[in-house]
Amino acid sequence: MTHKFGRISAALLASTIAGSALAQDNSVTIVLSEELDVVEPCMTSRSNIGRVIQQNISETVTELVPGEGLQPRLATSWEDMGGGTWRFALREGVTFSDGTTFGAEDVAHSIARTTGDAIVCEIGAKFFGGMEITTEIVDEHTIDITADPAQPILPLLMSTMTVVPSETPMDSFVDTPIGTGPYTFDEYNVGQNIKLSVRDDYWGDAPVVQSATYVFRSDSAVRAAMVKTGEADIAPNIALQDATDPDMDYSYPNSETVYLRVDNMTAPLNDVRVRQALNHAVDREAFIGTILADGTLLATGMTPPSTIGYNHDLTPYAYDPDKAKALLAEAKADGVPVDQTITLIGRTNNFGNVLETMEAMLQMFQDAGFNMELQMYEVAEWENFYSKPFAEDRGPTMVQAMHDNANGDPVFSMYFKYHSDGLQSGTTDATIDDMIAAATAATGDKREQLWSELFAYIHGEAVTDVLLFHMVGFSRVNPRLDFAPTIKTNSELQLSQIAFK
Amino acid sequence: MKSFLGQRAIASAISLVALIVLVFFLSRLTGDPTTLYLPVDASLESREQFRKLHGLNDPLIVQFGRYVGDLIRLDFGESIRRSEPALDAVLRAFVWTLQLAVITMALVTAAAIVLGSLAAFKVGGLFDRIATFFSLIGASAPDFWIAIVAIVIFSVNLGWVPTSGTGSVWHWILPISVLFIRPFGLILQIVRGSMITALSSAYVKTARAKGVRNRPIIFVHALRNAMLPVITVIGDQAAALLNGAVVVETVFGFPGVGKLMIDSILQRDFTVVLAAIFVTAVAIFLMNILIDILYAVLDPRIRY
Repeated sequence: MTHKFGRISAALLASTIAGSALAQDNSVTIVLSEELDVVEPCMTSRSNIGRVIQQNISETVTELVPGEGLQPRLATSWEDMGGGTWRFALREGVTFSDGTTFGAEDVAHSIARTTGDAIVCEIGAKFFGGMEITTEIVDEHTIDITADPAQPILPLLMSTMTVVPSETPMDSFVDTPIGTGPYTFDEYNVGQNIKLSVRDDYWGDAPVVQSATYVFRSDSAVRAAMVKTGEADIAPNIALQDATDPDMDYSYPNSETVYLRVDNMTAPLNDVRVRQALNHAVDREAFIGTILADGTLLATGMTPPSTIGYNHDLTPYAYDPDKAKALLAEAKADGVPVDQTITLIGRTNNFGNVLETMEAMLQMFQDAGFNMELQMYEVAEWENFYSKPFAEDRGPTMVQAMHDNANGDPVFSMYFKYHSDGLQSGTTDATIDDMIAAATAATGDKREQLWSELFAYIHGEAVTDVLLFHMVGFSRVNPRLDFAPTIKTNSELQLSQIAFK
Repeated sequence: MKSFLGQRAIASAISLVALIVLVFFLSRLTGDPTTLYLPVDASLESREQFRKLHGLNDPLIVQFGRYVGDLIRLDFGESIRRSEPALDAVLRAFVWTLQLAVITMALVTAAAIVLGSLAAFKVGGLFDRIATFFSLIGASAPDFWIAIVAIVIFSVNLGWVPTSGTGSVWHWILPISVLFIRPFGLILQIVRGSMITALSSAYVKTARAKGVRNRPIIFVHALRNAMLPVITVIGDQAAALLNGAVVVETVFGFPGVGKLMIDSILQRDFTVVLAAIFVTAVAIFLMNILIDILYAVLDPRIRY
């Protein structure tokens, strides 16, 4: 019996050692939080799909690099031709992993496919809604792209546009993506793993990582354990409570902003003093390092601080319950029905400790004199409160939400969240509408300035909502790797940026 | 027997149809998949396009009619999220669950019968007390806690087995061990109780008086008669596993039907939900038939 146990133990040990030995070569294993539903390049704005495919398999026309701004990728340069048209010069000598040559026709096909109506692509729905994109091929490596209405940030929008070969079907998703990136999509063992391997004919620098295997585990503790044991090299997304090893765990700004969207159209929330009182009632500092991670930043704007035009001069509302009470009393004296019950709506599982955060905030609001109740909803029900059309008989509501903008420009956020016609806007303010229109149309320094002014107006004058936190994410990385997560890790994970120590 | 099987098949088919109709309409009450499939920033046009592509704009009765028409050809439709036939996704996952369930229940049955019988042989003895103590702990400990603790101890600290996954035989050890514990505790208690009754029966006393040794008394005479309630519970536990060992599948990254079903419910992937319910219901129906046959094999008095 003892011998049998010994043999089994030895076999297990050998297996473990063999597994570890495999992990010592130039391949990496990445453990993701959920299996990919599809492996379609036009869906890479979904985090886990993006982490596998974007820039590894399918490259974008341009690329937004943290700290460096918009950079060439498949396009080498671009020029504003006026009238909403931009001319992109495309890289020559690029081939797809199936051997075909990349050119303007592929870009035109990719844009038509992503923004067309034969399939619903998340990139099209998320970044190209409400506009018509047309293309005209100038020559094999030059293309004119026109947006109607005109989009001054069209080159930035092209940083979301993944390029597929022109033979890719218009009316169905692909199950083996083909791209111009440094890796080929080798196999997808559904339910188990995805495997990529490096191309030897990639147009750019040859990556160090020769192959990658992606596996899927829903449980954060298991993902963390896999990196700890050497079964995996990177867990891009682990929970705060599992990030316990300073040698392996990294925190990074994950481009998510948490806020309470206030219904500015319904009494008593249509009174600016009430909204100011809401802002003064929350002790934002008390959450950080307790139920939210150290490194979480207090928000004064809807987008992360790395976004252009973010107004760094703004300061968060001070925690001042006495001032909140005074503002409420002043509003009440003017006939504002401040005693009316306000419904605070939260989204379950939106981020770690969301329930605790909402309950603590409810208590703070009640301590400041608000008559408020909390309702937590699962995402599909929550969406009915968050997006228009709003129910007529909704009463005064505040909706907790977390918004992601890793794209470097507020335009991806401000229209939806603040314009009178914005899908999730809780306000109808003509000044805001005009400021969004002006900033959206501007370019360069002027654009930055106009966004900055809009942030200041929303935060200081309109006080449309209760801005709370810029969140941080946690990744666990095997110490054998030379890799540090960035804000982009929330949406992509370029294998070519990984090296070995 | 043939007429019994026919009657059971008809009764099960009626139940299955009622279940599918119920689930079809109840699942539609849970909300619009558009809100989950598309990003919250998606335009109203994109949402409309999505609904149109997936027939979600049609009246519910029209959607149901279309669904029934397809179902007659065993076509459950395309998964909204996975862009593949729903039945393919379910059958692929069900194979994993079936393997997990069969291996686990085989081990549970063998261990619980042997240890439960031995515990019943000397009630109150040391073996009985130990078996009862551990079986009660096993029957009451939560799966998710055991799973995480097992990973921490056996994978992270001792490094004996992989944390999760399906790559080799070693990957199956922890999931099966965790799944084993709860039904083992329950079935061991049932075997023990049933065997205590059987061992106090007149025919056992007669066998003892005739000088028959303990082993044949326990495992031949008493056990066969004690097995009927045990089989019922084994069937119940196996049915629970066939429905999917959601916690174990989730923690250990097993791509089984339980996790698929939960994910599909949360994502409002209606076609997959219905296909998963259909497949598991058919499997449970077949298993119940098997149990009925086993009753007749074990007890000659039972005839259909």
